[in-house]
Amino acid sequence: MIHTIRIDHILREAVTTPYRDLVTRTTGAAVRSRIERSIDGAGGATMMLDFSEVGLVDFSCADEVVAKLIMGAGESGARYVVLWGLREDHREAIEHVLTHHRLAVLVAGPDDEEPRVLGELDSDLRTLLDLVQDRSAGDATDYAADLCWPLERTAAALHRLALLRLIRTDGCTYCPVHRQ
Amino acid sequence: MTRIVEIPPSLDDRTFEQFAQAFATGDPGARVLFDARQAQWASPFGLIGLLTAGQALQEAKRERPLFTVPASEDVRRYWARAGFFRYAEELFELHGRVPAVKPDTHSDVLLGVTPVRASEDVHAVVGMIQERASRLLTENLGLEAKATMGFAMALSEACQNIVEHAGTAGWVAVHAYTYRKRLGRRVVVIAVSDAGVGFRRSLEGSQAKRFGDRWGDGAALEAAVIQGVSRFRDPGRGQGLAGIKRYLTRWEGKLSIRSGTARIAIVPAWDEDVPLTEHLAPFPGAQVQIVIPAHGETPA
Repeated sequence: MIHTIRIDHILREAVTTPYRDLVTRTTGAAVRSRIERSIDGAGGATMMLDFSEVGLVDFSCADEVVAKLIMGAGESGARYVVLWGLREDHREAIEHVLTHHRLAVLVAGPDDEEPRVLGELDSDLRTLLDLVQDRSAGDATDYAADLCWPLERTAAALHRLALLRLIRTDGCTYCPVHRQ
Repeated sequence: MTRIVEIPPSLDDRTFEQFAQAFATGDPGARVLFDARQAQWASPFGLIGLLTAGQALQEAKRERPLFTVPASEDVRRYWARAGFFRYAEELFELHGRVPAVKPDTHSDVLLGVTPVRASEDVHAVVGMIQERASRLLTENLGLEAKATMGFAMALSEACQNIVEHAGTAGWVAVHAYTYRKRLGRRVVVIAVSDAGVGFRRSLEGSQAKRFGDRWGDGAALEAAVIQGVSRFRDPGRGQGLAGIKRYLTRWEGKLSIRSGTARIAIVPAWDEDVPLTEHLAPFPGAQVQIVIPAHGETPA
């Protein structure tokens, strides 16, 4: 199940002004805490954060909303997030802060068949993430066979992708976050 | 007893040092008279720098300073259109005729003098500048449309430094004009200034020990601007200035920040400024200037 959160709606509730811009840390913290409440009430569903009606996103707000949301994902145990409808300038600001923290997130838009990764991810993880998204589900042995990688290398990479909340785990099975 | 501080005829980030020197000199208990009668021009940096001096005196609970307005009618009108007198009358006892001109937002004054006190003010500034700057940046300065968003981002981050670090209110102004001597091209200039604690005091608790004997205004600016450190433990902090530098690198812009007795600059190829200047006259708070030059334009 995928829930969509309209960031422009959350922003309007958080700042009670007509502005469409995600700027300032104060605003970012207020928006993030509302998103976290929605996520925590969604029972582990993947959340599609819809930025399509958001104006500007500055670096401080990108850090507060996206980077801290992802960093907190490990604590709550069940936060899967895909950013939707990012403009080029949104992507730049968000990528800048994710790279700073060595984090990555999945992004999608109307023209994408599959979510793509934004942020810092080494080549092993990128290769494996692409495969998980293509394959839909499998265990470490399946992916190791597909990639002709040693099992240990594959298992370690899958574990790291799971920690980054870029893939889901169900026992020994790994699958994309946007397919449940 | 009155102490006279003369305003240079042309007040910008360079001649600001003459002004700061005059402001820092003399009996600190004396009433200050800011004499702008000879003023012919002031950049946004100069205008909000004057307000910052007035704000510092007000916050120090000193006698309300005097201010003699420029003798030139044209200059008075420009300063009025730039929104200077609207806030100057709250800080100074003005002497001379102030024209009743509404602040102008349709010419080269992209953003008149605007106070920044809280997060909501940053929202308002960013909202206003996107409306007004887009056409000027793309048509007059030859920048790509996406530069407008980066410009608004840089403005937002610069204003947030006041909200997050200054401990008091500040000012922002954005003008476009021609840098005749230095560049021979049109530029758009963001100026942000506050009378707050400045970079050294803001970072002292976390950084002074690390720098040891070198600690001072220059080291604090270096830590913040070059090394990206912040007074907060949060590892996500310090990205605002990093983001500004990244934007300026792409558009050949210039960043300079003055705080206390030092000034640091990220200098593009078209300018000959020095990266770090220390032992300047002390001036309250912090003053930021961002300059974005026109692209695809032949230097005059």
